[in-house]
Amino acid sequence: MAGLTPSIALARPRRVELSSVLCSAVLGLVAFCVVFPVLLVVVQSFEVSSPGQPSAYGLSGWRAAFGEPGLRTALVNTLTVTLVRQVLSLPAAILIAWLLARTDLPGRSWIEFGFWAAFFLPGFTVTLSWILLLDPEYGLVNTSLAALPFVRKGPFNIYSFWGIVWVHVLTGSLTVKVILLTPAFRNMNASFEEASRVAGASTLRTALRITVPVMAPAILSVLLLGTMVSLQTFEVEQVLGLPFRFFVFSTMIYDLLVTRVPRYDAATALAVVVLLAMLPLVGAQQWLTRGRRYTTITGQFQNLPHHLGRWRTPALVLVLLVLALVLGVPVVFALLGTFMKLFGFFHIQDPWTLDNWSTVLTDELFLRSLQNTLILATGTAVAAVLLHSLVAYIAVRTRYAGRRALDVISWLPFTVPGVILGLALLWMFLGVAALRPLYGTTWLLIIAGVIAGMPLGVQIIKSGLLQLGAELEEASRIAGASWWATYRRIVLRLMAPTLMAVGMITFVGAARNIGNFALLSTSANRPLSILQLDYIAQRKFEEAVVVAFIIMLISLGGALLARLLGLRHV
Amino acid sequence: MGGGEPGAGEAVLSLDAVTKLFGATAAVDRASLEIRRGEVFTLLGPSGCGKTTTLRLVAGLEHLDAGEITLRGRVVASTRRRLFVPPHKRNLGMVFQSYAIWPHMTVLDNVAYPLELRGTRRAIIREKVSRVLGLVGLEGLETRSATLLSGGQMQRLALCRALVYEPDLLLLDEPFSNLDAKLREQMRVEVKLLQRRLGITVLFVTHDQIEALSLSDRIAVMQRGRVEQVGPPRHLYEAPASAFVRDFLGQTVLLRGRVAKRLPGEPSAAIVVELDGALAGCSLAGRAAPGIALAAGADAHVAIRPEDIAVTPADARSPGHAPGGAKDDLRAGRRWEQGDEAMVPAPADNVLAGAIEALLFVGDRYEAQVSLGGEHRIQLLLPRASDWREGQPLRLVFPPDAVSVWPA
Repeated sequence: MAGLTPSIALARPRRVELSSVLCSAVLGLVAFCVVFPVLLVVVQSFEVSSPGQPSAYGLSGWRAAFGEPGLRTALVNTLTVTLVRQVLSLPAAILIAWLLARTDLPGRSWIEFGFWAAFFLPGFTVTLSWILLLDPEYGLVNTSLAALPFVRKGPFNIYSFWGIVWVHVLTGSLTVKVILLTPAFRNMNASFEEASRVAGASTLRTALRITVPVMAPAILSVLLLGTMVSLQTFEVEQVLGLPFRFFVFSTMIYDLLVTRVPRYDAATALAVVVLLAMLPLVGAQQWLTRGRRYTTITGQFQNLPHHLGRWRTPALVLVLLVLALVLGVPVVFALLGTFMKLFGFFHIQDPWTLDNWSTVLTDELFLRSLQNTLILATGTAVAAVLLHSLVAYIAVRTRYAGRRALDVISWLPFTVPGVILGLALLWMFLGVAALRPLYGTTWLLIIAGVIAGMPLGVQIIKSGLLQLGAELEEASRIAGASWWATYRRIVLRLMAPTLMAVGMITFVGAARNIGNFALLSTSANRPLSILQLDYIAQRKFEEAVVVAFIIMLISLGGALLARLLGLRHV
Repeated sequence: MGGGEPGAGEAVLSLDAVTKLFGATAAVDRASLEIRRGEVFTLLGPSGCGKTTTLRLVAGLEHLDAGEITLRGRVVASTRRRLFVPPHKRNLGMVFQSYAIWPHMTVLDNVAYPLELRGTRRAIIREKVSRVLGLVGLEGLETRSATLLSGGQMQRLALCRALVYEPDLLLLDEPFSNLDAKLREQMRVEVKLLQRRLGITVLFVTHDQIEALSLSDRIAVMQRGRVEQVGPPRHLYEAPASAFVRDFLGQTVLLRGRVAKRLPGEPSAAIVVELDGALAGCSLAGRAAPGIALAAGADAHVAIRPEDIAVTPADARSPGHAPGGAKDDLRAGRRWEQGDEAMVPAPADNVLAGAIEALLFVGDRYEAQVSLGGEHRIQLLLPRASDWREGQPLRLVFPPDAVSVWPA
């Protein structure tokens, strides 16, 4: 962050131009929206006076956090869930990505799209679907197995450590790895593999000895990303963990916040712990993806697929089975759930009804929330594309002194648990007088959505920019275009498909975001994702399921659009 | 246009002790150059010598770490004055190695872009674009998407885009390296004709000596960020200032030896070198390489361009006038006479004996490996007009004026 000091910027002969003014404006805006709330979190962790009282600082929050009886267990839970998720999903993801990218697996481009769509499914909805199947008492799988002779009781319990891991692997861990690794595998220079084949190695041997090691940086980077995402997870543990008092870091923080007397000091102290744990991961991730470590990957080769031969059918069956678990089951059962009189009770007489749909669709509250969600998601998408592309462009293509700082800051939202980020933004908007009128409006949620989507959005645009030859822009500069004209007329136009896709991803992200909005939304700007929580809190489970399914539909629509708009690389 | 005699006009671009560091290493090391109006000036050197970086410094795509760049009398980059003019305000044209044709635009849009940025009126843009497209034979393709062009067409389009606004200086960054050999030759001629016709000043970067020699009015040979020598192609070829320039341009026959004595006479005094190894006892006379003093007894290299060696079958009696290799022999003979006039006496006859070891017929000539005895082998080109055979003894005349002596 040394680049922030103006003396360094002045040490070299450089024009004071519109470009550096613009860069500084972007840096200032991003720093204000990201660094300021994060600082608030850190400061708050040392705040010992109760809300409304004059500030006093001390370590009581930290002591309380570390004295919290469940802390040790939550820490162990967080680490084990994270570790087990990665261990289970990584080999499977590598295998699937390799099959999709480098073999003659039939229908591979459709299957890849299936994983892409599954990646967009909201975790909350997927969790509800799996409850239908694996609830210890009423779950369909369990009741079916219990109907078999010699089986007294279904063996599965979703409200367990392995239940949580199962849902996690199928929601986030596996799909995100597959959609990130498949393009990376596809772009690998085929001559490495060809040389190995010619040297006498079999397909499998080549994959294990050449492909995977050559791809190690990409795999490691995806693994780090997955670890960071797992450290943050919230919804799944909140729904499945609470019934058996299973806490991870993020749900523990949430628990500290939603008690009758919110424990802001302890909650923020825990958030700072997460932040500190994340920073080295972010650093490692940046180090891996920077510079020449990726140069083995070039896109100019016509890659001929490996012939799977007699393995073709088994491989196809395996991949389709996984796809059915990550995409088919959640969608089908989320839909079924919306027609149930009592959610999860298949065995009652005449369990089906259309009432849930008619209740929800005629609910004034629902219609307002739907409207809020659409405005919120659209606004977030537009704002995110503008801001994220500027940040990515400055970080990748300019010589602006603060570009490294900007790059690091764009990762920060990833390092703070979503609920805490929402809380920090709340403090910021209530604390800064000029921003107070925004409280309770959709603008507030849009800002939160843009910040929450920043790490992924900036990352995708950055990799798109890196694939775009710098000479296309240099040619424009030489032809007489200023920095800004080049950005508008060359970069934005050429990046249009990627930007559209980032827009869609941010749209979906905002539509299904729970963590960031949980504490930020009011009855005036409540989106669908929060409405489903409210329904659950009011024990209207069936209505919640309908809303969850609608969010899923919006997400799938977004996935389809992003794909049609041409995002093939992330 | 047409600024009179190329290379004789005012300076369009000058570089004054320009330095660019990448980390601790200097990619460009105190390079000073002057490019005159209407000339094709080439930066030539092996990859990594700093030629492309120099070009990018001129374009404003890199910031220099020391020195000053002046374009048409206006300082555009200077560390002393803390001044940097961004690329879009330098009025340069540039053709990139990858052509950098914008794929989201048509042919017309690509060429019109720089004009639009200069606020040219629509009607004038159309007229200028079609005129410049006509120059390179792309007329009628205005509405074609730029991605549907062939390599040669893209190159022409890139040239049009760089020329349409009549820049002060045209920068060419290895523009031919992505073309196949046939097309490359054709484009070379096209560019040269266009340059002569429009009288534009060109700064050209290449690692290909044939391109450099054939296109340039003057060449700067660069090595490790430094400018080794600047001069017209023929001058560089015939009077290289350093061993690097000598070996980088064209073929050189090198023979090791020791300086026997310096013959009296001033700057171009002749030096006699006694050869080593199997050639012990033989000696050759030549002029000292420029700016290098060699004491008697010092180790030395004798260098000569292979085509300057007059080759005759050993059985032919008259030296230098064999009936066969007429052209080469005549030239060599003439040079020798000139050498005589320039008071370079030949101690021996400056003649060595050799024999053809291997003979390769390559169409327009023969390539021969000739043994001079022992470990000494040289590669020569022999004219097709005579009959040569492997094992044939040869008489090799080294005209003293074409021989240069370098420190080993």
